Amino acid sequence: MFNRFTDKSRKSVQAAFEEARMLGHDSVGDEDLLLGILRVEEGVAAEALSSLGVTLEDAREESEEMLSDALSSIGISLEEIRREAGDAFEMRIPTHRRLPLSPRAKNVLVGARKEMRRLGDNYLGTEHVLLGILHNEDGTAVRIMASMGVATEALEDRLYQLRRRAAG
Amino acid sequence: MNEKTRTQVGGPQDPREGLEAVVALRRLLEALEAAQVENAFIAGWSWAQIAEVLGVSKQAVHKKHARRIKDRYPRQPPRKKGRGA
Repeated sequence: MFNRFTDKSRKSVQAAFEEARMLGHDSVGDEDLLLGILRVEEGVAAEALSSLGVTLEDAREESEEMLSDALSSIGISLEEIRREAGDAFEMRIPTHRRLPLSPRAKNVLVGARKEMRRLGDNYLGTEHVLLGILHNEDGTAVRIMASMGVATEALEDRLYQLRRRAAG
Repeated sequence: MNEKTRTQVGGPQDPREGLEAVVALRRLLEALEAAQVENAFIAGWSWAQIAEVLGVSKQAVHKKHARRIKDRYPRQPPRKKGRGA
């Protein structure tokens, strides 16, 4: 699956597993792939994201807010439960438990490979992963970016712009 | 009101919202179980006692939680069956 990945995109996917674990995600979702790119802070995708003001902290916060919103929709207050359970409460998933890639995250990586071919590249970089994330319109990552006020079109334009700059 | 208006996207009975609540609840349940097992452990409960209240086998609770708790409390001695509480 990680054939042709660059060091940066490989590192980003590894970081996505760490992000998922930290946030208590029992599988690595498309939003975790986005967080992974932001965490590694290397490559064209990270540059495009940061130039539009997307930060790791804000994206994590949005992801956590989605969890607490989903719980309030069924009448559960995450804050209250956290308070009741005390210091032992943490969302983090223990290190020995293995996390799978979610179907959406797999789709993103398949999409990334298609983007690589479409653009005629012979490497799979962070920009292809980010394009895969953006084209997964039902995904959680796109919703996170939307709530941060980032339009996927603007981000895509910035990506191509940075690629051209790198090539020229 | 027909079925379609009841389940329209974004509505109060949006299936996506309902399913996402289930995912959130599952994640919360895992975190809460881990926290309460840890609290019981700190209070001196044995694995057997914890397992009994959770309604699962001692092996199951040990397999799921022992490693994490030992990582967090490396100096706690192993507890004997029946002690504490």
